[in-house]
Amino acid sequence: MGLWLEPNSNGRTYCSSLSCNFRNLPQVQLRSRIVDTPISNRRTEMTMERQQREEEKKPQTSENDKDEKVVQFLDSLNDYLTLMDSLSSALRQGWLELASARHSMGSWRINSAILDHKFHSASTTLQLSSPDDSNYNMKQPHFTLRKWESCDDEDFQSKEVKLDEDEVQKNSDDVQVQKERSKTLLVFGALVSPKLRDAQLSFETALETLVDIANRRSVMLSAYDHVREEILGTKQ
Amino acid sequence: MYGFEAMTFNVHSGYLEAIVRGYRSGLLTAADYNNLCQCETLDDIKMHLTATEYGPYLQNEPSPLHTTTIVEKCTLKLVDEYKHMLCQATEPLSTFLEYITYGHMIDNVVLIVTGTLHERDVQELLEKCHPLGMFDSIATLAVAQNMRELYRLVLVDTPLAPYFSECITSEDLDDMNIEIMRNTLYKAYLEDFYRFCRKLGGATAEIMSDLLSFEADRRAVNITINSIGTELTREDRKKLYSSFGLLYPYGHEELAACEDIDQVRAVMEKYPPYQSIFSKLSYGESQLLDKAFYEEEVKRLCLSFEQQFHFGVFFAYMRLKEQEIRNLMWISECVAQNQKSRVHDSVVFIF
Repeated sequence: MGLWLEPNSNGRTYCSSLSCNFRNLPQVQLRSRIVDTPISNRRTEMTMERQQREEEKKPQTSENDKDEKVVQFLDSLNDYLTLMDSLSSALRQGWLELASARHSMGSWRINSAILDHKFHSASTTLQLSSPDDSNYNMKQPHFTLRKWESCDDEDFQSKEVKLDEDEVQKNSDDVQVQKERSKTLLVFGALVSPKLRDAQLSFETALETLVDIANRRSVMLSAYDHVREEILGTKQ
Repeated sequence: MYGFEAMTFNVHSGYLEAIVRGYRSGLLTAADYNNLCQCETLDDIKMHLTATEYGPYLQNEPSPLHTTTIVEKCTLKLVDEYKHMLCQATEPLSTFLEYITYGHMIDNVVLIVTGTLHERDVQELLEKCHPLGMFDSIATLAVAQNMRELYRLVLVDTPLAPYFSECITSEDLDDMNIEIMRNTLYKAYLEDFYRFCRKLGGATAEIMSDLLSFEADRRAVNITINSIGTELTREDRKKLYSSFGLLYPYGHEELAACEDIDQVRAVMEKYPPYQSIFSKLSYGESQLLDKAFYEEEVKRLCLSFEQQFHFGVFFAYMRLKEQEIRNLMWISECVAQNQKSRVHDSVVFIF
């Protein structure tokens, strides 16, 4: 007579018993039946039920995540296209205003031959924060435009000011920026047409939009990678 | 003697007056501009201009065209016509014709000096100079470090020498000094030209006084508007205004104190000839001011052709031709940038 236990994939045990008909021994029937161990019956049942519920929920949660990521990607794509459109408008406006300034002041006053080839520091710089930097916690690279850096850096770049000094700080920043703008236009002469100043503003707007596009593209590519991972994960 | 020019004018200048009136009839008409405004590409513009008097200058230009090429070739036509008139002119018409080019000479001097200050190649700068303002020693301007040297080394032998007396300093040249120099020279030139025309007397004095006064007043308004928000003080601004014109002297006093475009408008609206110009603009706007001034100038220039036996027709033709070239430049830019809806912002029809 032998008795052995075999667990199956559901965690339940089979108990097989062999019965044999000996003359003097009571009859034991050969049967095979599912036998739960008496002590952890209830707990195992609960665990199994919980696992079953989680497995039923799992497809729903991952579907929501996928949808969210796809929506995120589409949102970032929409923002990217909107920014491209506004860049196109800003550049068109800038080029037309430049042509208008040449029409007003004369092409001998506004041409590439009088641009300054002397060494001078850049008035505007671009700072790149990449995920490799220790101080940067985001997953995608980020571009920051620092405009008119040749003026006093501390006064100009500080955006967090006390409420009391808000207006004064803003006015001095505006004046400083205006001075820097006029200084840049000195290449074409000290007395330039307002159309040239308008062209300068348009190109400045275009530059800001370009940096926004770069950041938005970075977010969009990151969202695209997430969506692709989800799709590949589902296929597997 | 005024009124008796018919007796003597044609002896020396009749042929050239006929020539310049012939040139005038070759100016583009409204129909030509309408055709040009409908062009899709610069090659279309070239094709239309080939059928006009610009044909010989543009027909051999290879594609793709650039707007600067169109302007250069059209300017060459103007230069050829001017040289044809100058080589056949006698005094005082020859001096009068030379006076017309001194403005371009000043622009070229400033271009060379500015470019040299910015460490640019002299040959590159010479290519950008206006051909009407060229003189022999222009390339040596690049060696001057300050205005005194500029005068002593180069300009003392040019027609601009008398205009330097007010702006000779030993200060090194920088962008602000150069701008002051440009405007001071131009002021001196305009005043000298005005005196010369007054001396000629007759119809020339009357017509040219009106045209040059308008030029001086327009300059005063442009200097005022362009200097708003800059470091130019009121006194320095006033020094750049010419000493003649409708606005001299009281209008200049008020313009010197203006801090924005609306104050300029308030000053100019006190003068009836300029009231109509500023009435076309809305408050705070200065974009269409140039076009309004150009339209008024073209009207006055065309009126000068209504009278005979004076030198004003030569000045008027040169200015009308320059306006035509500006129109072609603007149309070309709008077509090249695919902004044909804006083409009528700055085109001034002559006829």
